[in-house]
Order: sequence, then C-alpha cells, then structure tokens
Amino acid sequence: MKLSPPRVIFVALLTGPSCALASAAVDAGAGTPLFSFSAFGTLGEVHSSQDMADFTDSVFQPNGAGYTHSWSATVDSLIGAQLTANILPILSAVVQVIVEQNYDGTFRPHVEWANIKYQFTPDMSVRVGRSVLPTFLFSDTRNVGYTYPWVRPPVEVYSQLPLTECDGVDFSARIRSGNLSNTLQGNVGQSSVQQPQDKGTAYTRDAFGVSDTTEYEFFTLRLSYWHTHLIIAGVDPFLDTFRLFGLPGIVIANEYESDYKVVATEVIGASYDPGHWFVMSEWAHTKFNSFLGDRRGWYVSGGYRAGQFTPYATYAEASANSNSDPGLTLSALPSALVGFAAGLNVGLNALLQQSIPEQKTLTAGARWDFMKNVDLKLQIDHTRAGAESFGTLVNVQPGLRPGSTVNLFSATLNFVY
Amino acid sequence: MQLTVRRNHYVELAGLVFILNLGFSAASADVVAVVSAASPITALSKTEVVDIFLGKRTRFPDGSSAVPIDQTEGSSVREDFYSKFAAMSPAQLKAFWSKIIFTGRGQPPSSVATNGDLKKLLLANPKTIGYMDQSMVDSTLKVILAP
Repeated sequence: MKLSPPRVIFVALLTGPSCALASAAVDAGAGTPLFSFSAFGTLGEVHSSQDMADFTDSVFQPNGAGYTHSWSATVDSLIGAQLTANILPILSAVVQVIVEQNYDGTFRPHVEWANIKYQFTPDMSVRVGRSVLPTFLFSDTRNVGYTYPWVRPPVEVYSQLPLTECDGVDFSARIRSGNLSNTLQGNVGQSSVQQPQDKGTAYTRDAFGVSDTTEYEFFTLRLSYWHTHLIIAGVDPFLDTFRLFGLPGIVIANEYESDYKVVATEVIGASYDPGHWFVMSEWAHTKFNSFLGDRRGWYVSGGYRAGQFTPYATYAEASANSNSDPGLTLSALPSALVGFAAGLNVGLNALLQQSIPEQKTLTAGARWDFMKNVDLKLQIDHTRAGAESFGTLVNVQPGLRPGSTVNLFSATLNFVY
Repeated sequence: MQLTVRRNHYVELAGLVFILNLGFSAASADVVAVVSAASPITALSKTEVVDIFLGKRTRFPDGSSAVPIDQTEGSSVREDFYSKFAAMSPAQLKAFWSKIIFTGRGQPPSSVATNGDLKKLLLANPKTIGYMDQSMVDSTLKVILAP
C-alpha cells in the first residue's frame, strides 16, 4: 500500500511512542476503508391543539407547532451527514454536519461534531475537538431518530439540558469482567449556543462531566454528572433594574442572574431490552442557581416489538422547586416607586414562569420498520402543564392560562444510510 | 435438518390501535459460529459471540484479539444469526450500529458476500470469527457455538 503524505506524517508521529499497541491494532483493523460516509435524517410533522403557544423540541428552536404553525415540519425534521477518516487503526477523525432550523429561522448547516480520536487500546480512547455530551441514555444519538423508539426523547427530561455538544477533550475507558462491562467517560470543555428571539448567546465555561455506563446482558445503567458555569447575559438588563432598589433588589438580581453561575446536573438512567420488549427510565436533576431554576424530570417508557411494529407508551413529569418569587416588598417602598416595583415583580414572575417548566405527559405511539433503514413513527402526546406553569411551551401569547393542556400529533419518517 | 415452525399472534393496543397478525415464520437450517480449525478457541458462550459481533468485546476469553466477519446485509443467514443469538431484527441491528457510528465510536464488522469468501478469511487469520449455515461447515473449520 502506498502511503499518502498526511498518512506518512501520522505514522511517523505515532509509531514512536506506541509501537506495540499500534501493531496490535493494525491486525484488528485490517480492511477498514480510509473514509466512511454515513447519513441520517428525519422528516416530521407535528400538530398541536394549543394555538396560543408553540411546542418545540428544544429551547434553541425559534418556533414550532401551535401558535406559529398549526402543523410544523421544523420541530423534528433534520438531515445529518458524517464523514469518518480512519487515518490509522489507532487514529481517526470524524465530522458531523447537521441541517435543521436554526435559532434564527435559517437552515444554515452547522458542525455538530468534529473531533480526532486516538485509540490507545481497543477499550481506551481520547477525543479532542467537538464531541457529544453523554449526559442522558439517548444523548449520544439524540439527533438520529432511527436509533430510538419514540418520535423524540421525552422533553420533560431532555429539555432540562438541551446542549448536545462540548468543545474540549473527552476520554473513554472500558473494563469488562465476564458478562459485565463498565464504560467510564469523562469530558472537559466549553460550548456556545445561540438562543432564539434575540436572547443572545448562552455560554458554558470550565465544564466537566463524568458518565458511567454499566452493561450486564440486557440491562444498561448510566449515571452521569455534569458541572459547568453558565453565562446568559440576555436577562441582565431586566434583572439589573432591581439593583436600583438597594440591597433587597441586589439580592434578587444576584439570585436570578446567570453570570458564570454553577450548573450541576445529575442523571440516572436504566434500560432493559431483551429483544422483543423493552423498558427504560431516566431521572434527572439540574440546579441552575439562576432564573432557570432547580428542576427535576423523569419518565418511564416501555414497548413491545411485534415484527415490524413497535408500539410504545411513556409517562413523563417535569417539576421544579419553585417558579415564582415574592419580589420586592412593596410596603417597604415610598409610594412613588410602588407602581414601578410592582411592574418589576410581575416581570420577574413571568420570566420564572416561562423559564422553569412543570408538566406531565402521557405518550402513546408506534414505530413501523416498513423498509430497510427506514421507519415511520406515529405518536400522540397528552400534556398538562403545572398549575402555575406553561410547561415547555414557548412563544406564549397573552391570554394563555397556566395549567393548560396540549394534545400533540406527530408523524416522522426516519432513515439512516 | 431440524425444521421449526413458529406461529405468533400478537395483539397490541397503543394510542392508535394496531392489530397485527405476524403469521408464520419458517426457520431455515441452524446457523453456527465458526473459527478456523487452527484456532486455539474451542467453545464460546452465546453472550461472548454476540458481544464480539456487536463490538462490545474485542478479545477472545484467552486474551487474543477477536475479529468478527459478518455476512452480507439482507442475507438470510445473517438475519438468522442475529435473531437466534442476539434476539435482534435487522432493524434493531441497524439501530444499534447507528448509535455507534453516529457517535464516532466505531464501525460494524466488515462483511463478505459468500460462504467461500468467509472461509478464505477464517483460514487466513485464526483471529477471525464468522457464522454460516451448519451444512456448509467442513473439516477446515471448527464450530464454537451452535444454537
């Protein structure tokens, strides 16, 4: 085989320190093509019964089904392409590009992942670049509808931490004993995500995470912890107004600003999948230390595979410690300021109410694997928002009452190539 | 040759009501996992074989590296192998590998088009492991797992 110049350089760089490992890996990887191309996609339509707010899959989507569109194709639809370069058996690079509706309504492609992986041994690797955040059971392939049974992972849990990527370094090490295997993943890094509706950019800085996955026969357990500092400057001008009221106002502004505030997420997820049926459940808790609240979410889901059909059902809940605040004490203020302060208090509670969702959802649906590499899913969701919440709905219009119900009908066509 | 006929009737209710009748699925002859007769491996458990093919295990129990070779996607022997040993349909297998591929964590085993090609690879490299219809196994190969 003739080596092209870049490969020669990599060989020269890498064979020195890890000669023995490299030659062992070369045997195992014989026949792997230099480049492999894969693609995936989802075409979807969602209809919402609630026309005074939008249902979206993520807070980073500018609009969705309900208020903006009676039927929305942009909530679930996307196309992704991935190129993997197997430079050496121990060194590979991957780039994944996704086209979907962006925060600003455009469909510019964005780079979801781009990293270089160094495989020390078949069970141990390090990646440098942009990689997935392995927080939830289905985080790794959240964008690939074909890989999970539902139309979308339950928003009660997955919208708690809508980030999917991290720029930095991650490592993965697997150990095995008999039929038990344990994979420990860790990452450090940061990310920047543009938010819709001119809310500016959300930055995570100095983040680290650990995720431990145990597999025993049909049973999988994942425990994750993620710690970051979150900067969302978009709410600062409003919250800073409270500072005009001296100490009580400063306390409120400091409590709810997200100015390099610590965010900590804990997740426990488990699944049991012996083939003809499956059950899975995840529980997540995120403390944002800001206007995004202290939130919990969980779901339990099960399904049965009957030939090409997989009917499933899910129950999910999202709750929060609080999504309101008494605000400034009006009786302590000079009468000239009472009106202004009361307005600020209303604004603060509106912000908390829309940022911290509480809701319960019952889901039923079915996946139909009707042809090779393609499936069709139909799903119905019945959601009731918490008594003082709009749930995960966005673009809430004046007149919508908290505690409302939403019925969604979704249909998606998913493929992998 | 052992011939089994399974008859499954499932009725499922889920939001929308689907009433399905799977009818018959007549299974073919038994698929077995094989290595070269020259390989030191004598027997593997079902879990060990499945883990090797799903990339969850990279070594045989004796510590030597294991290289799985698949049969062509869509072939009946491949569908038989994964359905009998891993209880996975072709769609489940595809979904499983999509999870691995789209996180850049690996690629499925390379595959061969015919039993003859598989035999050649198995004989050339004692680290390789494959599967084929039991009737195709000859003295150059060794069955390490039968259903």
